[in-house]
Amino acid sequence: MLATLASATLTGVEGRSVTVEVHVADGLPGFSIVGLPDASCREARDRVRAAIVSSGASWPLRRITVNLAPGGLPKAGAGLDLPIALGVLQASGQLPAELPSIGAFGELGLDGGIRPVPGALPLADAVAGELVLVPVVDAQAATHVAGDRVRPVRTLTDVVRAFVDGEPWPDPEPSSTDDAAVTFAPDLADVRGQPAARVALEVAAAGGHHLLLVGPPGAGKTMLARRLVGLLPRLSAAEALEVSRVHSAAGLPLPAGGLVSTPPFRAPHHSASMAALVGGGSGRARPGEVSTATCGVLFLDELGEFAPSVLDALRQPLEEGVVRVARAGGTSVQPARVLVVAAMNPCPCGMGGELACRCPPAARARYARRVSGPLLDRLDLMVRVDRPDPAALLGPAGDSSAMVAERVAKVRQLSSARGVRCNADLTGDALDEHAPLEPQSATILERALVAGRLSGRGLRRVRCVARTLRDLDDAGPTLRPTDVLAAIGFRARPLVEGSHG
Amino acid sequence: MADWTRTTAVTALAQLPGIGPVRLDQLLQAGDPVDLVGALCAGSPPPPGLGRIDEAGSWSAILASVDPGALAARLADLEITVTTAGEAAHPDRLAHDIDPSPVLFRRGRPVPTGSPAVAIVGTRRCSAIGREVARELGHGLAAAGVVVVSGLALGVDGAAHAGALAAEGAPPVAFVGGGPDVVYPRRHSELWHRLVAEGTVASEAPPGAAPARWRFPARNRLIAAVADVVVVVESRSAGGSLLTVDEAIRRDRPVMAVPGSIRNPAAAGTNGLLADGCAPVLGVDDVLVALGLTSIVGVGLGGAEVDVPSHLRAVFDAVDDGPTSVDEVTVRSGRPVLDVVTSLAELVASGHVVDDGVRVRRA
Repeated sequence: MLATLASATLTGVEGRSVTVEVHVADGLPGFSIVGLPDASCREARDRVRAAIVSSGASWPLRRITVNLAPGGLPKAGAGLDLPIALGVLQASGQLPAELPSIGAFGELGLDGGIRPVPGALPLADAVAGELVLVPVVDAQAATHVAGDRVRPVRTLTDVVRAFVDGEPWPDPEPSSTDDAAVTFAPDLADVRGQPAARVALEVAAAGGHHLLLVGPPGAGKTMLARRLVGLLPRLSAAEALEVSRVHSAAGLPLPAGGLVSTPPFRAPHHSASMAALVGGGSGRARPGEVSTATCGVLFLDELGEFAPSVLDALRQPLEEGVVRVARAGGTSVQPARVLVVAAMNPCPCGMGGELACRCPPAARARYARRVSGPLLDRLDLMVRVDRPDPAALLGPAGDSSAMVAERVAKVRQLSSARGVRCNADLTGDALDEHAPLEPQSATILERALVAGRLSGRGLRRVRCVARTLRDLDDAGPTLRPTDVLAAIGFRARPLVEGSHG
Repeated sequence: MADWTRTTAVTALAQLPGIGPVRLDQLLQAGDPVDLVGALCAGSPPPPGLGRIDEAGSWSAILASVDPGALAARLADLEITVTTAGEAAHPDRLAHDIDPSPVLFRRGRPVPTGSPAVAIVGTRRCSAIGREVARELGHGLAAAGVVVVSGLALGVDGAAHAGALAAEGAPPVAFVGGGPDVVYPRRHSELWHRLVAEGTVASEAPPGAAPARWRFPARNRLIAAVADVVVVVESRSAGGSLLTVDEAIRRDRPVMAVPGSIRNPAAAGTNGLLADGCAPVLGVDDVLVALGLTSIVGVGLGGAEVDVPSHLRAVFDAVDDGPTSVDEVTVRSGRPVLDVVTSLAELVASGHVVDDGVRVRRA
């Protein structure tokens, strides 16, 4: 007898439909799986057999062949355990032959329990079938894409009872994530002093402009960066789904409710490999940090300590807003619309410019060179962060995150009206239309270009930042000379060895 | 083949292996260099009194392979002037020094003889503050018409030269270890060429000579010999600049030192000098007074009054000669951050202020 079920497997952040065919026929007892299963998928044989026996059903002592179609698509992970088990039960007559078309994914335990798998959201989106059986923990997230087709299942026995005895399906269970794991953004009011950095944070949040903080250790660079995410608007419904999809595919815990609703904050360690940062790796192309941080903040602390090749791999995603990870099995496109905040010390010992700096000039020059010019060219804002003086530390608090977020939201609304997510996304004609230069502003830019202080890419980015500055001020239609000058003033420049100490 | 001239003959002799300033002096004392080169080419032994020279055997072959015409063309091409003791263009102080310098290869202007000269020396591995002080002293002295003499090394030397060039006052002089055409250290390539164009780069080493270790102490003696006062900005406790100080003391030149923090290892040598009774430098004025010049108002550390557009004045006044962050400028000027960033961008564009990536200082 033959049973056919729908399921899905994960490639990058996309679910791909898979059809599971189970054939039970006379012959020598045996169990084989064909159709490009990877190692964890082949091990399904042992898990499925144990789970069926533990659930009180009987294991058919016949020849069992499982085909995973399409045959050319590599299947990864244990998510196909559940459809294979259901197929065996149906093909051996232990489930009714006349059932609505079933889609399912989930990993089986030897006791017949059904465990969650990474990527529930994209998988549920890709699975066909009138009913989609999903592990209870993944059910809430799956509902956001598969709606009322979702049926939460806890054990294999639940499924048999529901289909054979007509018992109700179990209720979905919130994921085990406690609220502490959800991004917690501390308040900007905690930061005393640092006037330049505060303005830069606000501009970065309002226009989606990448930011580089340079300063000695303990000056508050990390503290500032962590507060940026609290200034960003909440995710729109589409963004929330996109972020949740990536987080689900990366195996990150989803918050209660199954959807990520606040902008993510990701801070990879500087030892991160290229695959960890931009995605990839062997087998299925896992989303990297630049993708899990999409629609949010990617914080690169100790920028100078990252491997230069890893940093340069960020250049394309920053430009295009997506990562293309090419693997032998195919190319996977993953979202990467991040706001980069980077922090670095001015020199290896961190004291750059102070008397205590112990770095020989050559070491300082080497350190400054670690961040390549092309990457710097993509960072729109650069500020020096120094330890605030005592008067500022004891002085009055600045604007709170809520106050700044309100101004940021206003600018973002203006951007939406221009048809982009944020001003940093303005290009070509849209830029000419929404950010026309006053004649004097054009002269200033021309001089900066001639003097070599600005590249072609830099020109566009300066205009975007100038647009944000004007939006934050009075939202007038044109870019005034002061807007353009301030944008040039904020722009990242190579650290000059020697003169900065 | 063209004939040997005095210039090419002296250069060829200086390029011989085993020949340093002392033996070159002896060779030139022994007779006319053109005759000497002819004799050596013909296989005659070197004149007596030079001591044992292992490499002397190869001299005749080396000299025979030199084309005097090509050598003259190369000197002309590099715009290298060769002066020997006794010529008017040869600095008097070097010709009559206790360790006389027989030959000088120089690019750029002649070494000025009439104006007062101050050597600014110090460690290559100086602190940021040391670098700034060297720069400001170089700037202030050059602006006051004093020739700044140093060695174009990394650290204090280079900063002093850069400051002197920026002042557009008296053109600075550099004595270097290798040939005047051998740029060393490479990092100072730009500064080197600016000195060639606007000041002087001079050496005892002939064109093409590598900056060998043994040449640097000899070079230090030239710096001490030419200067009226030697100022040490920062020196480690056993630093090479203390060799310059020894040479200055041998010649009775006043030595002055810039005090540093007792926690700063780069200032251990200078603080030691001060403890030994050497005069401290607290500003350009101290050096000018030591030179017997009356101090010039406005040429203290900090530079002269600069003309800036009135709307940028408040921000410009908040910028130091050393690295200043936007935060500092904001607090001092009391202006909003965006205003400060805008004004600084304008000041950078107009050249009043330079930025190093994250901080600014006065140009």
